[in-house]
Amino acid sequence: MRTTARVTVPIVLVVSISLFLQGHNLPGGGFIGGVLTTAAFVLIYVAYDLDYLESGVLGREVEPGTSIFEHRTVTAYRRTLLAGLVVVLGSGVAGILIGDPFLTQGYVHLEGVPIYHEVELASALAFDLGVYLVVVGSLLTIVSVVSSE
Amino acid sequence: MSVLVIAPLLVAVTAAVLTLALGRRPRVQRATSVAGVVGYVGVVSAAVWALVLGPAAPGAAVYQVGGWPAPFGITLVLDGLSAFMLTIAAGVGVASILFSVRYVTPVNQRVYYHPLFHMLLVGVTGSFLTGDLFNLFVWFEVMLIVSYVFVAFYGTDHATAASFRYLVMNVFGSALMLVAVGGLYATTGTLNMADMARRLATPEAYGIDPAPVVGLSALLLAVFALKAGLVPFQLWVPAAYAAAPTPITAMFAGVTKKVGMYAIVRLYFTVFAAATVPVDLPGITAASPLGFLAPTLGAMGAASVLVGGFGAVGQDRLGGLFAYSSIGQVGFIAVPVAVAAAADPAGTLRGVAVAAALVFALHHALAKGLLFLSAAAVEDATNTDRLRDLGGIAGRSPVLSGAVFVGLLSLIGLPPLTGFFGKFLAFDAAVRGLASGPGALSALALVALLLGAVLTILYATRVWVGGFWGRETTAVETATVESGQVAVVAALAATVVLVGVGFDPIYRFAETAATAALDGEGYVDVVGLNGGDGA
Repeated sequence: MRTTARVTVPIVLVVSISLFLQGHNLPGGGFIGGVLTTAAFVLIYVAYDLDYLESGVLGREVEPGTSIFEHRTVTAYRRTLLAGLVVVLGSGVAGILIGDPFLTQGYVHLEGVPIYHEVELASALAFDLGVYLVVVGSLLTIVSVVSSE
Repeated sequence: MSVLVIAPLLVAVTAAVLTLALGRRPRVQRATSVAGVVGYVGVVSAAVWALVLGPAAPGAAVYQVGGWPAPFGITLVLDGLSAFMLTIAAGVGVASILFSVRYVTPVNQRVYYHPLFHMLLVGVTGSFLTGDLFNLFVWFEVMLIVSYVFVAFYGTDHATAASFRYLVMNVFGSALMLVAVGGLYATTGTLNMADMARRLATPEAYGIDPAPVVGLSALLLAVFALKAGLVPFQLWVPAAYAAAPTPITAMFAGVTKKVGMYAIVRLYFTVFAAATVPVDLPGITAASPLGFLAPTLGAMGAASVLVGGFGAVGQDRLGGLFAYSSIGQVGFIAVPVAVAAAADPAGTLRGVAVAAALVFALHHALAKGLLFLSAAAVEDATNTDRLRDLGGIAGRSPVLSGAVFVGLLSLIGLPPLTGFFGKFLAFDAAVRGLASGPGALSALALVALLLGAVLTILYATRVWVGGFWGRETTAVETATVESGQVAVVAALAATVVLVGVGFDPIYRFAETAATAALDGEGYVDVVGLNGGDGA
């Protein structure tokens, strides 16, 4: 199980990020990218345990005996959710501030970027980033709280 | 295109995010939450004045989200009807949040109470504003998901069971609604409500066959009746109302129920009324979906009046009594809507009847909000809401009792309170409906309304005599009523009186709303599908 997780988790994470990045004009997007990222985390949780992210990956001491809501990773997940909401709302309101309707999106082509040569930068990506954060934050909060019971 | 159309939605979402962010600072969170609702009231008033009622107002306005033109994008429309419903939501919302701050324990307030409250406002506002059928489904879900959490809020066995029952019923409802929305899309080729109205008015021009619309509209009617708690879909109401925090119950009764009635009026009168479809069912023969709506909704409304009335008379708890009373009162809204559906499209009765339903909706939101909040104040002070254990509150807290008295009299329908006009106009509509189209069903509906009125007097008297008059019981003797709560309730009572005394502008607002609801072509124009620019 741990061997499989060690191999698959990085692949899943890379795929999830690529799905997230291409979301605004190909299949993919913040939601499905977020779900896939969560799946990678869940795989770690299943293969190791709830404290592994903190003790094994971040190398921090886990404070024993606190309730799951006070758990540092869970607090971080909740902050992620909140940050996502702020990004979503901000990306929508930004359109109003420059005189367009709520949620109006635009894009620019950046040329001459090293390696990629041409990159399309869409404002929809900001909205998608918000969705991605909301999905990751909320799903991981739910998964860790429910699985600790 | 005015930002004011979407402003109420943005204010509510922003308040939800802010209150979520401020969870660690309870005082700041409470202040932000109240400020959010006050801001909501502010933008709703500004939008209603600038776009619908003011001297320079266009009467209705549209907002195309993301700049995508109708019928492709998501359209938000603020017309008279939406404005009227938003005003009700804002009024009840501000009373409910002010009361919540003084009523719900600080620990419970920190458990996502405020973000959820604002998300409830978001769902309600979205439902009232949207001009897109699928989007309506989405806003319903936003509203429902928050409602499930609120019903299960206290986490007791009763609350969890009530929430689960509520969830199961509404999951079926949502599935049905999705089927109906999909069916309408397959039939008419559009989800935009204005576009749908236009296509249904001239089906040949678009090569569509509107025959399935009647059946699909019946599915939608069932879903909306479930939201409104009309008989036979009222089963979730008493348990859910008893389980939710009482200020939220005031919101449920005053606002979210009205979303169901609003959706019925909006879809049938603004959208489906344009269609000419022969309806040939046993006992119902008509030329449009409205011909189907009239007897069905009339029967459901009449049954609700009776079930609610009889149920309320038999209840022992204040909360349960008002919950059943709520079922009956929604029947009082449904019957005028049914009368309007049966009325001649060219005559004045249709507009009068819809206005009657709207006035009753306003009255019910105010009076029931007042009574639920009073019940909460009583329970908070005495730790019980059983009529058996209560008595003599009038001597203990004259102000609270006075407010309840006003609420009960308004429910009974005594002039000059708001309830008088609500009930008067409902009866007026029912009598005129009977006069213009005599039939067994119209007569039965009128009898049901009369019986419902008598039952209202009966249970209102029971509340007053059982809870407020007489000797003080042990529970009441030791009780101290929280002054902040009483202030909110008294302010609501003053509103009930003021709306009744200065009824003329309110009625004109309701008439504007009714005209907007019936003006399908005007709605299409506003959205910008008749060659307009949609801006």
